[in-house]
Amino acid sequence: MALTLRRASVLVIDDFQGMRTMLRDFVRAMGVTRIETAHNGRSAIEHLSANRYDIVICDYNLGPGPNGQQVLEEARLKNLIGVATVWAMVTAEKTPEMVMGAAEVRPDDYLLKPINQMVLETRLSRLIARKHVLAPIEAAIKAHNYAEAIAQCDLQLKAKAAYPQEILRVKSELLLSIGDYAAASALFESILAQRDVPWAQTGLGKIHFHARHFEEAHDIFAQVLSEHVVFMEASDWLARACTRMGHDEEAQQVLQDAVKISPNSPTRQKTLGEVAYRNGDLDVAQIAFTKTIRIGEFSPHKSPSAYTGLARVQADRNEPYEALKTLALSRQEFRYNAEASMLTGAAECAIYHQMGQTERAQEVLAETEKLLEKAAGRVSAEVGLAVSKTLFAMGHKERACTVLQDVVRNNHENLEVTESVEQLFNGQGLHAEGQALIAQSCSEVVAINNEGVTLARSGDLAGGAELLRSASAKLPNNEVILINLCGLLIARLSKEGKDLRLASEAREVLDRLRQINPDNKNYHIYTAALNRLMAPK
Amino acid sequence: MAQVEISFGDLIASSIHDMKNSLNLQVSALEGIARQCRERQDTATVQDLGRVIYQANRMNLNLVELLSLYKLSKSIYPMDITEQAVAEVIEEAVQQNQSMMEFKGITVSTDCPEDCYWYMDRELVKGVLVNALNNAYNYTHDKIHVVASVQDKRLELRVEDNGKGYPERMLLNQDLGSEQGVSFETGSTGLGFYFSDQVARLHKNGRKRGSLVIENGGSLGGGCFVLRLP
Repeated sequence: MALTLRRASVLVIDDFQGMRTMLRDFVRAMGVTRIETAHNGRSAIEHLSANRYDIVICDYNLGPGPNGQQVLEEARLKNLIGVATVWAMVTAEKTPEMVMGAAEVRPDDYLLKPINQMVLETRLSRLIARKHVLAPIEAAIKAHNYAEAIAQCDLQLKAKAAYPQEILRVKSELLLSIGDYAAASALFESILAQRDVPWAQTGLGKIHFHARHFEEAHDIFAQVLSEHVVFMEASDWLARACTRMGHDEEAQQVLQDAVKISPNSPTRQKTLGEVAYRNGDLDVAQIAFTKTIRIGEFSPHKSPSAYTGLARVQADRNEPYEALKTLALSRQEFRYNAEASMLTGAAECAIYHQMGQTERAQEVLAETEKLLEKAAGRVSAEVGLAVSKTLFAMGHKERACTVLQDVVRNNHENLEVTESVEQLFNGQGLHAEGQALIAQSCSEVVAINNEGVTLARSGDLAGGAELLRSASAKLPNNEVILINLCGLLIARLSKEGKDLRLASEAREVLDRLRQINPDNKNYHIYTAALNRLMAPK
Repeated sequence: MAQVEISFGDLIASSIHDMKNSLNLQVSALEGIARQCRERQDTATVQDLGRVIYQANRMNLNLVELLSLYKLSKSIYPMDITEQAVAEVIEEAVQQNQSMMEFKGITVSTDCPEDCYWYMDRELVKGVLVNALNNAYNYTHDKIHVVASVQDKRLELRVEDNGKGYPERMLLNQDLGSEQGVSFETGSTGLGFYFSDQVARLHKNGRKRGSLVIENGGSLGGGCFVLRLP
């Protein structure tokens, strides 16, 4: 049954006693009986873990500890709230975070102070009505069923739901995610025929970016920004385009301008730190990494690479003790995270080496390499690159090459990764050797893939699948192998009929694929195909 | 010791946050007291409270306008022109001032189709409407009418009243963005008009810009505040 305001259970989060009481009294006066309050981010998370709420009214500013946005992110990440929960964020003034595209996780709406009971009641009632329209779309997105989500969008558009443009925007993002660039492009053009809307312009830029037309993409993002200074999504994409074009200095400028307007995104600050470090601008890099760590302190999305980035800056500044302190903090912060331990270890080891503490460096290196071995290929390219860089620095060229070989084999079609590997070799003065390693590793994987596909084409689906299965066991992070394996499993299902064992293997492969790259367009195509095949007749 | 960096912008933002909390609580408490007074039919106190609430609302409005103008001048205002349901924006602006209107016996009516969507920065345009309603509160006899319509590819938002209308010298000098002079009689510092005019100009579509005019007449025969957005 559809939710009504009176029957809703409500959580009010505000650090200021007076506001908390006022908001609670407003809600009570609306006839709501189930109301609870929390006085800071921690207590909010406790409440959200223990109970299910239909409506959360949360002040953005919560004093020391996590802010409203971070509480929301944690609640979404840990599934403490469902897609039907209405989250209203209360703020004192309009902030850049309120602009669409500035943050990945958004509340359902922002409420600007002052708030009176009438305004609150109207807004909450409208949000409940809108949730009714959007919840089925959000549920499908959350289940990674993008085809279904698009169908839901079309259904609502046909039913002339309120805020059609918001639904179109969601639909356009889904189309980009599944790689249907033609349909996405048509959607953006139809919006732009009416008016220059920044998200639609930016969307066209993204299509160019995906097609590797970086210059066209760059110009579009720059154009959007010249007219809409606070459209942060365009500036993040512009910086990406600059970097892909090899214009790191421009990328740094774009990001520096962006953090002036919107300083509270850890991802943007971290990217700025990395770009500035590559440009040799240690001052900017240090500030950016420090800020990343500070604003990420209470964020569920904090990352160890901000710490290793800062440590590298400090080491380059000849402040090895400061750098080790930073890394010790990282160890403490990410105690149970193997990826983080490897990243931190690689950085620590390089610093001990630089300090001449060879024994200590060897010890840390051994621990890190042990973890790497244990991960059996299931590590990100970032870790592989960091470890091999340290191996090079310590003179273990062969071991570095072995690690990099795996990085390339696991990412043979990912140009950003292979370029990073190439740069790493170039930095060692090993240009030719690097190119040879990349070419060799890529062709090995291509050969296995081709063999599997050839077997399948000749009719031996089972043989092709078996070949790719064992290749995937050796290269668990290779997207292309996973995709082809999944394709063969689905082909078998469609030819041989329903088979639960094959279907569950296909699902595992898809899950793995999503972990590696949630934006893989084939992931969505194959998920839809598998669901169709296994649907009850 | 590591130094804590505090920027002026952060300081202003947190102070405004604090002040708005105080004002919000103050108005809310006053409205509560007014309700009690009305229950025991103490009309005189209710009217007094209405005037106090009006002043608190004005203070809040001035804070919002000053902060927005400060941010716009530094190019750090998060200007964000998106499609909005016009009826919702009007409704919220009206509801924000509802209590003080009731205390003075003013009826506010609105006329806007539910499916009227237009591009605007929701917060800025709401600020302009609240400001116009505050003005009308001063000038009107007992009625205010808010009308929205799309004409000639522009959204026209009109706030009309049944008072005596704007004085002649204001209508002649329609350069509303310029200094209007401080008037202790109406409590006008010109800030409201300046803010509204800036907001109008910031709404652009291609080569067209928004505009702000005041006139007399309209459906209620008093002053009219007219915002047009391309």
